[in-house]
Amino acid sequence: MVTRPARRARRRQAAVVGIHALPFSKNIGMTERRAGGLAILGALADAGLGVADVDGMFRYVWEGTTEMEMARILGVPNLRMFGEVDYGGGAGAPTVSHAALAIENDLADVVVVWRARNRSSGGRPWVSQLHATGQDQFERPYGIVRPVDGMALHTRFWMHRYGWAPEVLGRVAVTQRGHARRNPAALMQKPMTMDDYLGSRMIADPLRLFDCCLETDAAMAMVLTSAERATDLKSTPAFVTGFGMGSGPQMTAMTFYYGERLGETPNRYVAPELWRNTGLAPRDIDVVQFYDAFTPQIPLGFEEYGFCGEGESPAYMADGAAPPYNTSGGGLSEAYVHGFNLLVEGVRQVRGASTSQVANVRHSLVTSGNVVPTGAIVFSKEPW
Amino acid sequence: MSVADPGFPIPVPDADTQPFWDACARGELLIQRCGRCSKWLWQPRPICSSCQAPDPVWTRVDGAGVVASWMVMRPPTLPAYAEQVPFVVLLVELEQGVRLLGYLVDDAGQVLRTDGAPEKVTIGTRVALRFHDQAGTPLPCWTMAAPRV
Repeated sequence: MVTRPARRARRRQAAVVGIHALPFSKNIGMTERRAGGLAILGALADAGLGVADVDGMFRYVWEGTTEMEMARILGVPNLRMFGEVDYGGGAGAPTVSHAALAIENDLADVVVVWRARNRSSGGRPWVSQLHATGQDQFERPYGIVRPVDGMALHTRFWMHRYGWAPEVLGRVAVTQRGHARRNPAALMQKPMTMDDYLGSRMIADPLRLFDCCLETDAAMAMVLTSAERATDLKSTPAFVTGFGMGSGPQMTAMTFYYGERLGETPNRYVAPELWRNTGLAPRDIDVVQFYDAFTPQIPLGFEEYGFCGEGESPAYMADGAAPPYNTSGGGLSEAYVHGFNLLVEGVRQVRGASTSQVANVRHSLVTSGNVVPTGAIVFSKEPW
Repeated sequence: MSVADPGFPIPVPDADTQPFWDACARGELLIQRCGRCSKWLWQPRPICSSCQAPDPVWTRVDGAGVVASWMVMRPPTLPAYAEQVPFVVLLVELEQGVRLLGYLVDDAGQVLRTDGAPEKVTIGTRVALRFHDQAGTPLPCWTMAAPRV
């Protein structure tokens, strides 16, 4: 029998009661401000709630519209709780975790989180980052400017240490494309074979084009409230069973090459927090959405969250023991939204509404970017 | 950015990192070492993260090390690198145990236009320090060292 003393001590549980996405595209044709506002209104409608109910907002630091501005535009009467979480794609699960914390501690009743990003039509942020301060002054002058560049140096090391063949990464890309092709909302609908993967051009050797996520215009939102209030709403709640966050030691965003344990990611530090906080273990997880800006993050995720041992992920993923992963197509083949689409898909799996639905989902895990300070969260079919 | 600036990312030092870049301009590599616990530290910082003593001591090192990881830069990247790709970026572990990034360069410090295959770059390859002048910025880089006898 699992005990959850830390959770029982809290007065309330949080639940996701509304989700919404605008259609993914290469050019959404509107500002992030407008797209984000429309996504929030859609998520509130999904929950059967209105703007007047909202009293909390959390966002990624990288979100272009502040919660103050968004609340003003929408006409939210008062934000009792608000805040932002930093570190790009590491912020997804932590942002939802902050929303859940506000509800659990009775500091807000209806909390909105969202991510609107014109990452396709708005251009590549690294193109204009030519004055390298802080950690960047020792990295960017050598051309380490794209997210893929930092990941390539990690990947070479993992391939060397664990003996990964390119096919280990190719299997991830091919699997997720298959999920995308069952998902009409996914941007990538063309079939992909292992030969297609191996034939794709190198971008940051050893990483190929098909190791990389998409560049997408997207706007998505999520609404959380208390488990008690959720039972009165029209949507199927996804209860927040728990979460964890972690940075690990000697962290530098994207390029944490400088600490004692080269190759280890913040996942390694999030995992014990997550399992302690949820009272669950990897064997309890029915479906998982691993942050997937790049393919290596999936095998590393299975290892560092404890689904299998270090170095065992290729065999573990090949023999059918692993739970289904990134079932919407993920960042690689559905859309790249700093992982917000993974959070929404994690909720859909609990609702029974995925296009690659896993049978009888009780616990759905979503992780965030593991090359920055990050976190993970479990959505569940039943409350505590 | 001046008219002549080719658009490479430029290091912008602050008081905690200025000694490093000043040394590069002299052709020297300085790494911080704690004056109390002797820990070598990278990237630069004002406090030892091992024993919390302030002001680690800038210490000259010869820059010899081994390749801890490496990657090959391919397009699309910044226009400034268009004439330089493909090139190799190394993660080098110095004999002091710290790891720094740098281009793979020739003996004269010029960036090699290579995918690393002719040079047989691999994890564990021994390398030696050179400085590469990138549009006026001296950058620590590494060249394939002669095998030890």
